[in-house]
Amino acid sequence: MLSVQGLSKIYVTGRHNVAALTDVTLTVQTGECLAVVGESGSGKSTLANLVLGLTPPTAGTMMLDATPLPARRTIDHRRAIQLVQQNPLSALNPRRSVGASLRLALDVHGIGNPATRPAKVSALLADVGLTPDYAARAPSALSGGQRQRVAIARALACDPRLIVLDEPTSALDVLVQAQVLRLLHDLRLNRGLTYLFISHDLAVVRAIATRVAVFRHGRIVEAGATDALFTSPQDPYTRSLIAAVPVITEQEKAMRDRLGASS
Amino acid sequence: MSLLEVRNLTLSFRLWSGIVDVLHGIALSIAKGERVALVGESGSGKSVTARIVLGLLQDLPGAQIGGEVRFNGRDLASLSRHEREALRGRDISMIFQDPTSSLNPVYKIAPQFREVLARRTPRITLAEARERATALLQEVAITEPARVLDSYPFQLSGGMNQRVMIAMALANRPALLLADEPGTALDVTVQAQTLDLMARLVADHGTSVLFISHNLGVVREFADRTYVIYRGRIVEAGPTQAVFEAPGHAYTRALMAAQPRLTGGALPDIVERDPRFFDPVVLHGVPGC
Repeated sequence: MLSVQGLSKIYVTGRHNVAALTDVTLTVQTGECLAVVGESGSGKSTLANLVLGLTPPTAGTMMLDATPLPARRTIDHRRAIQLVQQNPLSALNPRRSVGASLRLALDVHGIGNPATRPAKVSALLADVGLTPDYAARAPSALSGGQRQRVAIARALACDPRLIVLDEPTSALDVLVQAQVLRLLHDLRLNRGLTYLFISHDLAVVRAIATRVAVFRHGRIVEAGATDALFTSPQDPYTRSLIAAVPVITEQEKAMRDRLGASS
Repeated sequence: MSLLEVRNLTLSFRLWSGIVDVLHGIALSIAKGERVALVGESGSGKSVTARIVLGLLQDLPGAQIGGEVRFNGRDLASLSRHEREALRGRDISMIFQDPTSSLNPVYKIAPQFREVLARRTPRITLAEARERATALLQEVAITEPARVLDSYPFQLSGGMNQRVMIAMALANRPALLLADEPGTALDVTVQAQTLDLMARLVADHGTSVLFISHNLGVVREFADRTYVIYRGRIVEAGPTQAVFEAPGHAYTRALMAAQPRLTGGALPDIVERDPRFFDPVVLHGVPGC
């Protein structure tokens, strides 16, 4: 669905040139969840920004369903690619009720006619496991998990082709994270959604992704199906990354130590 | 005898909307040289517990503290404000989550380090402080201590700042180190190095550690004993291995189940609230003896 060819991004700051992304080529298939993992500064958020059209690439091309994505996006492109951010509290307007935030997405993209939009807002809330009365609430009156559900509902509002999830659960507690991951997983399967899932948490990626691309210093060092990448990572960097994850069971520790020893 | 003994600790905040109970009778103990973890989610009361031990909340208007905190056999409440402040940075020190924001951005590392050393040695000279700091930075595997001392915090990486913080926290050879989510703001590879380093240093100096974290994996690697805290109550306590291998409390089991595994497996169905989370505390073995 999304194909990225030779993508590079160089930020010019004063006298320095920072190569944030260098010659990245990847594709996202319809219905899959492609995880982009890496440490800070690996270029994963730059990739998200380029895919969303927030900043133009220095070189390379991006294609969505075989049509090129221009540097300046039209409203249709923006509708097709939606974002869920890390911190739902700063992603939602604190002065606007949950319903108004969801309604705005429908209004901007002219989805349905104005009379049916309140019902659509209720349906969106139901999709993410919230009751319609949440529409009247302010984001400050919600828990972290509920806020992230609202942020997901807003991304779903305009029936996007691709959702970019930028660390969607790293600000959440572990019980809440489990629920949000489950919700994202179920939504993808039931609605045929496609995710570009940016994360630094390998255990989360293992749970939710179908394919993984490992980034380091703006380049892809390794990419593959999730199971294969975790059971037999080829690149030493991938192995060292897995070997550094703090784990909670003996099985995980055994697996980690096996990979760590061979890197 | 325990170095730190907390008994029936309660904390409430008086707000305009009424009284909010934050801690409902926390009991925990740390022996000399022991590494103890307090693990829980945000809002569970783990950070305020550390702040009370450090004596940061006692003078706050609106905070009502009950129960007992004994450090080295002395009740903190019986100390004067001056005596309590004297403990801080000397006998008890703390490492915070985000190293870069814990350091003062407008001073270079060297003068900040001197300030820390002056807690123990009030009239330490610049040259002496620099010499001590150089040795301490080498202890945390910093290869160019001179460059680090002459840098501002923003000129150093997060991992480097974290090591500076560890060196500072251990500079006065405190008996107790409070580590509040150390390394959470860092990359996993750097976090792993930081934890190894901290573990080695506290073992060398016989420092006791109260390690506060929401990250189960990190706790399992670092702590000898673990307390699980939920909404201001200790729900499970015991040797780390026992707590992780045979969690007895409903809340601990939910936490473990919710943690995605590196070995894969389906996403579990987790509930966020459960009345069983308020079940009585589960204790493994004989604590602290």
